[in-house]
Amino acid sequence: MSVGETLKEWYRVIFKDNYSPVVGGILLALLAILLEMWYRPWGIVGGLRNWGEWVLYGVGFLEEAPPHPLWFSSSVLNIGLVLGAFISACLAQEFGIRVPPKLEIIKAIVAGILMGVGSALARGCNIGGFYMAIANLSAGGIAMMLGLMVGVFMGVKYLLWEIEHFTSQGGKEISVKKISPILGIIALIALLWGIYHYFNSEKDEGALLGGALLLTAGIGFVMHRTRFCIVNSFREPYLSGEATMARGVALSLFIAMFGVLLIKMAGIKDAMTYVEPTFFLGSLIGGIIFGAAMVVAGGCGSGSLWRVAEGQIKLWIVVLFFAISNAIVRYYMDNVWEVWDKGWLGTQVYLPDVFGYAGTFLILSFVIFLWYVFVDWNEKTEKFVIGF
Amino acid sequence: MVDLSSIKADEVLDCKGLSCPMPMLKIKKALQKLDSGKILEVWGTDPGTKNEVPKMCEKEGYEFLGFIDEPGYTRYFIKKK
Repeated sequence: MSVGETLKEWYRVIFKDNYSPVVGGILLALLAILLEMWYRPWGIVGGLRNWGEWVLYGVGFLEEAPPHPLWFSSSVLNIGLVLGAFISACLAQEFGIRVPPKLEIIKAIVAGILMGVGSALARGCNIGGFYMAIANLSAGGIAMMLGLMVGVFMGVKYLLWEIEHFTSQGGKEISVKKISPILGIIALIALLWGIYHYFNSEKDEGALLGGALLLTAGIGFVMHRTRFCIVNSFREPYLSGEATMARGVALSLFIAMFGVLLIKMAGIKDAMTYVEPTFFLGSLIGGIIFGAAMVVAGGCGSGSLWRVAEGQIKLWIVVLFFAISNAIVRYYMDNVWEVWDKGWLGTQVYLPDVFGYAGTFLILSFVIFLWYVFVDWNEKTEKFVIGF
Repeated sequence: MVDLSSIKADEVLDCKGLSCPMPMLKIKKALQKLDSGKILEVWGTDPGTKNEVPKMCEKEGYEFLGFIDEPGYTRYFIKKK
């Protein structure tokens, strides 16, 4: 094999082929650990809410301007993810403006609004309320996981009903395959310029944001290459029995949990980081609502963002309504009803306070292992498969 | 290897603009309703479908004949044995 052929092969493996859920999951966990060590835990909803608040400020619902999206940590995390996924999509010639049929648009609006509500109750989505919550040793993460399992089941029931009663077609794609690699290179240059600009700024948090932008771009890139999908991991066991993505997510979660456990044991991050006052009602009910909605949306918090970057218009609509809905609901919950101060939806429960670090590691490892074994067993026996 | 451009499908399923899980759900439903020996042609735009269709065919026992990339969509050919 010549050098040229070897380089072509490398390009194909890194930029064109899909990564397996195991490979993608491992890379994702490592990036999430790095991000938390560098700056803060990965999250999605905070950034979406910031964008939603800007819309509300624009129409006069909010009096005060929200933090600037380029200098607000959660927003920068999302920008990085979308950029990284966009670069991945363009270089693999998978970017295209995909316009969905009308029924999908209605589903996107309803699902987006419900995802905003669910993620408000749980103070996080599949990432902030589940994946990173468990990684940060919060009991709320487990409660949301249970809620998601229930909610996703309801979402799958709905989809199976829908395809028996509705046909929808009439979507289309506006293809830009020929120029997309060039768009990808431009986006990469924009990313590098952004990182450079942050590191060279005079603001205190410049370096932190620059590193965060780089790391979340890596997360977005890996997620898109893998088509990493937490909705899939909960949905397919009910729908087809397929557990490939679920196994990858479980492994990824285990690694992230172990990494953050070490970070917190070493005192690099405060123990209560990402431990939200939602155990257990907020996490459980939020998980049920979010789980059902994300199945109908066709994307969770992170999955919706990488699909936005791929050009899926349905998910642009989901994200828009998700952002505005979460901003409105959180406005009322935080300021008007004072839900968190009153503790109506739960409390902060840091598992090591109850079980110690070793005990927490054993319990969370066991829960993740149980999930892994369950989906594996279900794949072979199809006992919980209600689809086809 | 089958010459896909000359295949005349017995049924065409339009999944353009649909994102997961809709394409796979509709494809499976259409294949269930299809008679043995017939060929289903699917039009899709979701990149995920390219991986999912061959895997599903192998698992469910359908014959995946291949795909053709057209401007703006992909045509998949599946035969029910």
